[in-house]
Amino acid sequence: MSFGAGWYPVALSNGLETGRSAGTRLFDRELCIWRDANGMAHAWEDRCPHRGMRLSFGFVRGDRIACLYHGWQYDTQGHCRFIPAHPDLDVPDTIGVATYTCTERLGMLWVYSDREVETPPDLPIGPREIVPVRSLYVDCKPAAVMQALAARSKNIGSAGVTLLSLDADGRDLLTGIQPYGEVKTALHMVLPGDPGVNRGAVRHAAAAWAEGLRRCLEQGTEQIAERAATHEVAP
Amino acid sequence: MTELALHNYELDDHCYKVRLLLAALGCRYVKVDVDVHPGHEEHSARYLELNRLGALPIITEGRFVLHGAEAILIYLAGKYDAARAWLPQDPAELGRVMQWLAFAGGDLQPASLARAHALLEAEADEQHVSHASRRAFRIMDDHMTRREFDDGRWFVGAAPTLADIALFPAIALCRDFGIDHDEYPALRRWMARVRTIPGFVTIPGIPSYH
Repeated sequence: MSFGAGWYPVALSNGLETGRSAGTRLFDRELCIWRDANGMAHAWEDRCPHRGMRLSFGFVRGDRIACLYHGWQYDTQGHCRFIPAHPDLDVPDTIGVATYTCTERLGMLWVYSDREVETPPDLPIGPREIVPVRSLYVDCKPAAVMQALAARSKNIGSAGVTLLSLDADGRDLLTGIQPYGEVKTALHMVLPGDPGVNRGAVRHAAAAWAEGLRRCLEQGTEQIAERAATHEVAP
Repeated sequence: MTELALHNYELDDHCYKVRLLLAALGCRYVKVDVDVHPGHEEHSARYLELNRLGALPIITEGRFVLHGAEAILIYLAGKYDAARAWLPQDPAELGRVMQWLAFAGGDLQPASLARAHALLEAEADEQHVSHASRRAFRIMDDHMTRREFDDGRWFVGAAPTLADIALFPAIALCRDFGIDHDEYPALRRWMARVRTIPGFVTIPGIPSYH
């Protein structure tokens, strides 16, 4: 199992509030994700070009994010627009942060992993009604998690996008996989279907199931495959 | 001296819990600086007389002496919070607050030690304290994840309690010892709420801007 250039979820949409930033990783590359005052989400390299500070530590004001160190402000395109120490400077366009293409679908924030691709293909996932459950961070290699989960789910993604339909005690749990780092994988989980039905007890049960899945995965991915195999032959 | 005094070290996360509550309550108090690093003044004869464990925080009020952040929080809330907002009276909520206070004083202790090891030359098994810290943070994040399902904004009940005060410093300061907030999204959102508590004060390691 290998992961190529493509779309990967990095957060649940409702987990990133308007006017907030957060750090995450994709293939161990640090990303800053943030949501501007207009509700638009952004995914950038997590590095202020000035002193290398993580931008995710910074703060969002309106449609800009500012670095925590010296307050350099960046617009939604990643261009530096204001340097507090030089308030009269018309900042040249060459000062900017590397940006990733991102979009939101199924209640998840998706990032196209290859910045070299100028116009990435559209994310081949349609809109659906969902209830967000949680992001689950697992201390396991992404490929091992993928292999273990493949044994108990079907991939309903298309065109290279992985979107697993997990059987969570009889309920369908849509799960996107984020290859976070060498030994860390994030799973972003949502319940498809009528939100009126899936809020409340159903969502609590799904979250509890997810915590159990994390225990199993961390205890040994082989066990999962075995359990799934047993499960499949059971009546 | 009958007035309330906090024997304090500015970088100590346990002292920070007490400063947070005192600020939220708007309590007047005297801050007595203790040279913890590098002086180890908390182990001096004078301070061992106040706390045989040789640890901060300690409060004194007249002849009354109390040590241990969680005990101090309960004392202060009982005495200076007339509305009893910080320490609920409902038995179920009070029980839950106490459960998290015990967690803050026990299960989060490895996080305090990891930070003291990184910043103040305290001896610690790095791998052990890091692992134990992450385990504790994960329990907190799982809890707040599910609290948010029911529109819960705080660890217990509908308003901030001593639980939020006692749990905040360890996770808010964990970047000091190399643990990112990335994998605790529900705690990241909760920490932003804690910062909105009227009177909130920072500590080196927690930025004023956010």
